[in-house]
Amino acid sequence: MELSKIRLFYKQISHNQRLQTRRHPMFEKNKAMKILGYFFIAFWAAYLIMLGISAFSWFDNTSYEAFDWIDGCMVGFLSFDFISRFGMQETPAQNIKQYKLLPIPTKFLLHTFLVRMGFQPYNLFWFFFFIPFGIRAIPQYFGIWGLVGFILGWWLMYVLNSYWYLLWRTLINRNFLFLLCPFVLTALFVFFGFFYDMDHQWAFIGSMRLMRGFCRWNPMSFVIVFAVGVPLYIVNYHMQKGTIYAEIAKTEMIKLFKTHNMVFLDRFGLIGEYLKLELKSVWRNLVMRKQFITGSLCMLLLCGLFSFTGIYDDMVFMRVFVCVYCFTCLGVMTLTTIMCAEGNYIDGLMVRKETVLSLFRAKYYFQCFMLLIPFAFSLLPVSEGKITLATAFGCLFFTSGAVFPFLFQLAAYNDTTIHLNEKITRSGRDTKMQMLVSAAALFFPMLVMYALIQCFDEHVAALAMIVIGVIGTVTHPLWLRQIYKRFMKRRYSNMEGFRNSR
Amino acid sequence: MNVTIENLTKSFGEKKALDINRYSIHSGEVVGLVGNNGAGKTTLFRIILDLLHADTGCVTVDGVVDGIPVSCDTSKSESWKSFTGAFVDAGFLIDYLTPEEYFRFLAKISGLTDEILNDRLLQFDSFMNGEILGQKTLIRNLSMGNKQKVGIIGAMLHYPMLLILDEPFNFLDPSSQLAMKYLLDTYSKEHGATIIVSSHNLTHTLDICSRITLLEHGLIIKDYDRDYALLTSEIETYFKGNINI
Repeated sequence: MELSKIRLFYKQISHNQRLQTRRHPMFEKNKAMKILGYFFIAFWAAYLIMLGISAFSWFDNTSYEAFDWIDGCMVGFLSFDFISRFGMQETPAQNIKQYKLLPIPTKFLLHTFLVRMGFQPYNLFWFFFFIPFGIRAIPQYFGIWGLVGFILGWWLMYVLNSYWYLLWRTLINRNFLFLLCPFVLTALFVFFGFFYDMDHQWAFIGSMRLMRGFCRWNPMSFVIVFAVGVPLYIVNYHMQKGTIYAEIAKTEMIKLFKTHNMVFLDRFGLIGEYLKLELKSVWRNLVMRKQFITGSLCMLLLCGLFSFTGIYDDMVFMRVFVCVYCFTCLGVMTLTTIMCAEGNYIDGLMVRKETVLSLFRAKYYFQCFMLLIPFAFSLLPVSEGKITLATAFGCLFFTSGAVFPFLFQLAAYNDTTIHLNEKITRSGRDTKMQMLVSAAALFFPMLVMYALIQCFDEHVAALAMIVIGVIGTVTHPLWLRQIYKRFMKRRYSNMEGFRNSR
Repeated sequence: MNVTIENLTKSFGEKKALDINRYSIHSGEVVGLVGNNGAGKTTLFRIILDLLHADTGCVTVDGVVDGIPVSCDTSKSESWKSFTGAFVDAGFLIDYLTPEEYFRFLAKISGLTDEILNDRLLQFDSFMNGEILGQKTLIRNLSMGNKQKVGIIGAMLHYPMLLILDEPFNFLDPSSQLAMKYLLDTYSKEHGATIIVSSHNLTHTLDICSRITLLEHGLIIKDYDRDYALLTSEIETYFKGNINI
């Protein structure tokens, strides 16, 4: 291809990508989230600058220079960067699809998106740390050009990390077991590189020498990076190429979940059918699955912290507070987008009588069933005497009878469709209302607990929570119908919102 | 089922999408809505199905279902939903289910047993042409034509007395289009159901419909009872008048 064409296409594709983000149907509704996002970026940038300035003095009176320590711990920085990319970095396969029929070679498209991935601004984010640190630590040993080499070296490492992330991100779409891959590899690397032979910490020494090489503009350092980067780029290229064709050919087949596995739900009649629908939605749709897994992992993490560690043992309030969160976190994470998945097929539901009410019931029973997991975990601290059985029951019922009714209110107000099989970052989430309700759902139990424990004691607080929770749980047909009535009153505007955001 | 539309208007911003003073469809009629893009066909369907709020007016459905007289404004009651079947677009399909699961789901919520469902699916066998059932494929991975078939069958599974299909011939291959015509014709005769279809395919619409309504810019321009020769020439003349060749 001619150079002028390459420039034109590259420029146009970059422009289109910017427009794609700016003109996303969720742009308006995501404004609050965007502002919050900018705030967090500013916060982290300031925090990293402060760390960068202060990091120089952390390593006084040690056997290595400050920059050696930082460089030696490269695996830690890159691991942190890797995790932070989750949900932020997109794969090129979906973006390329719309250009496939245009007279632009696929090869060029793939290279464009992969190259753009290397130059994405996120790879520069850690400069907020490395530039202030480098200014203090490097010039006195390697001069200004040494500083430039140091920064360039770190940038190249983050570019490599972005390609490594992309590779992993594509692999987990093929098989979920790949999820463990970076954790296992990093753990092995850290174990053998740092702890296996404490006298020769080759991972530490290796990354330290690599970065010193950049500071000295030693060609060997660049050769090593390119020796790793070029194969990584080529593997990514071929992986993405395969993914595009898989996406276009739509080769998805049912492998894991079939109707006959859920015949036990048939006995619950109509509700059972909607429960099946809910389970299939969670299992077969990327966004729902991620949302559910993230919520479940948070729940299990909190449960594990609470059950198997003693970090909250000294504070009664914190103990009960964490106990409540074990129960509520999955609900908060999944119910804030209640009905958003159904926005994809809301028309089909709405032309059938009271199907939405049955759907609400099924969702409620599903969430209540999931509460049995934290309840089972909470029995361990109960047996150890950390909390009373009444507190465990109090948390269980308070969640099902007070927190869930509150979260379910969103069913009448959510009007944005989640794109079920797109990445979370592109699926359209977090309206102002959702953010407000999820924040309230997290703080409301805390306030109730705090007030009750302050006014009475833990035992009375637990009993009060049981009473409030049982009332809410027993009356669920009433409040679900009320929500359904409100949903029906707002149906036209909600349906319009769902259609517009599909 | 009789469908009566009165003083129905709907605007999107400044643009008036629908303006129908009075329009009635009688029980057992097969009505074809024809018109160019933006004529208001889908908007009318959505309002009939209570998926869209009309600015003014109402749609009333009345008739006898299982020996019981029924009459309701579709925006004020849900009773019409049990005897109405519709497929407008992919927003009706639960696309992460397989076709079998989708049909079974619809059958269950319509109160049909598995035996009845299997029996009814047999009647759609030639229409499905071996491409829908047993494919182990989610609906979202089917071709557009097969998705269309799944939607149409889903709308007809519970034998509705009012059937509304928006552009049912879209995406179908020629054999399936013929099967579709046969299906609607047979269904209308066997069940005496009121069927409303919209289509850009004039030949098929003229073949299956006992009445053709011409909609343009939200207004009903003409309402023809079946007189095939007159219909064909008048409608073709109308659409030819809209293009500059």
